[in-house]
Amino acid sequence: MSALARQQQALLAALFDAPPHTGASTLADDLHPPWQRGLKVYQANGHALAVRALSACYPVLAQLLGEDSFAALARAFWHTQPPTQGDVAQWGEGLPAFLTHNDQLQAEPYLPDVARLEWAQHLCAMAADAQADLQSFQLLMECEPAEVTLVLAPGCALVQSDWPVVSIWSAHRLADSDFAEASHRLKAGLCETALVWREGLRPRVREALPVETELIAGLRMGQPLNQALDAAPALDFTAWLPMAVQTGLLLAARSLQRDSAGRRS
Amino acid sequence: MFRARKNNPKAGTSTIGIGWRHPHYSELLERLPALDFLEVHSENFFAAGGDALATLEQARQSYPISLHGVGLSLGSAAGVDALHLAQLALLVHRIEPVRVSDHASFARGVFKTATVHATDLLPLPFNREALDVLCANVQQVQDRLKRPLLVENLSAYLNWKSQPEQGPTSETDFLNQLAHRTGCALLVDVNNLYVNALNAQLTGAAGDPVMHCHTWLDAIATTAVGEIHLAGHTRVSDEHGEIVIDDHGSRVCNEVWCIYQHAVARFGPTPTLVEWDTDIPPLDVLLDEAARANTLANMVTQALSPSTAEQHP
Repeated sequence: MSALARQQQALLAALFDAPPHTGASTLADDLHPPWQRGLKVYQANGHALAVRALSACYPVLAQLLGEDSFAALARAFWHTQPPTQGDVAQWGEGLPAFLTHNDQLQAEPYLPDVARLEWAQHLCAMAADAQADLQSFQLLMECEPAEVTLVLAPGCALVQSDWPVVSIWSAHRLADSDFAEASHRLKAGLCETALVWREGLRPRVREALPVETELIAGLRMGQPLNQALDAAPALDFTAWLPMAVQTGLLLAARSLQRDSAGRRS
Repeated sequence: MFRARKNNPKAGTSTIGIGWRHPHYSELLERLPALDFLEVHSENFFAAGGDALATLEQARQSYPISLHGVGLSLGSAAGVDALHLAQLALLVHRIEPVRVSDHASFARGVFKTATVHATDLLPLPFNREALDVLCANVQQVQDRLKRPLLVENLSAYLNWKSQPEQGPTSETDFLNQLAHRTGCALLVDVNNLYVNALNAQLTGAAGDPVMHCHTWLDAIATTAVGEIHLAGHTRVSDEHGEIVIDDHGSRVCNEVWCIYQHAVARFGPTPTLVEWDTDIPPLDVLLDEAARANTLANMVTQALSPSTAEQHP
């Protein structure tokens, strides 16, 4: 290992090790004094960035935990799963699982699912843009359901939960907050699946209808329409289709071409 | 159509821009104030799509954009992240920026068994080994982007020891050699210079901070400088001791304005950025700082005699 690589590893260890002094002592020979004061600046920078970055991804989780608890969580996560990329918006995917294993948060078992919903929304906001093609829905009249599929909006995701995750999220994010309803649903033990998608540039969240969940899951996998519909027998597709198009959940219909060997392209 | 007031940054007068941050996205697009360019942090627009990228593309219709990176980790012995470079290249292709820059720093390296990124601007030793790594990484980025990069001097809170036999021992020699070997331009942050000088004064390593900065500027090759940054800083005193931090959270202080005038006198008309990243004030405060930079730069440029000006085309 080169001297430079060794120095850089030592400084990274001093920033990410917990407790923080573990790796710092190896720096004493390489840095001009008083290096300990400067190291504190970088350690504080890292902690502040961790809180700022995760607050941007997980605003409802931050509200649920409160400022001090969320900051402590962010600092702990910083040391356990450091960023791996220079784009800090890519950091934080592991936080829901990290919450699951946090003994201090076992009294609020819905927190990991709230975090999973927020991460899905975070990814949705950054997904590649796509334009609606309303003319393409003519394919539904012209093709057999086995030969066509439906194109979902950018960032479309389903977050299944054993908790009323959409109600909890909505109570903290929407202007017409209804904490009483969220509390009622939580006490009643109701489960909700969140549907996340992007309408234009704006990420949207609503509770997925039980009858549409399997259809959307199938479409996300690129299944032919007939196969996706078979998994959602209770869905009134003719009523659902215009609602899904109008809210931007569906962008287009796409023909599933077959090559000479009968494979779909 | 660009609202650029001046098209040739090294001829005539300095172009002036501001760091464009989220609190000012809407207001700036509504008002479209007269600025020569906007600077954004490249990484904030790495997403494949979405609102932020659409907003930047809208701004691009009215202003030249300077893409300023904070995450390339150009001095990393572990190399540049291929994904990061690919995302930057895509953004450069989309935005066609007036300049692309990052820092003479590292953040990427091995921690335990994984490659991590400290998401900070960590200092390099000013020696031959670090210079070789920095040059190789800068060259890789320039080859990928097919354009010269600008590389910025740091405010550093740690200083590595270097021995004379290990190559350049001063920051100015280090940066001059970087520019000479790679063809990159230097981005001189005069507030960073002043922060370093104040901290050196605190430890007894330097005397008058303004003179220290003037000496630093006088040692930089004039033809290498492609941009100047201005910002505020803060002095922190706590249980760990006293230190000056480059927090970009206040107006440019009088001493830094003085150093800026020295820089313009030495380097000639140079694109200048006013940065503000914490406790971001109303947009008019940034515009006021930009106007002051414009006034001072013009004053210095006009005060140069024709013979002096010819030495700094």
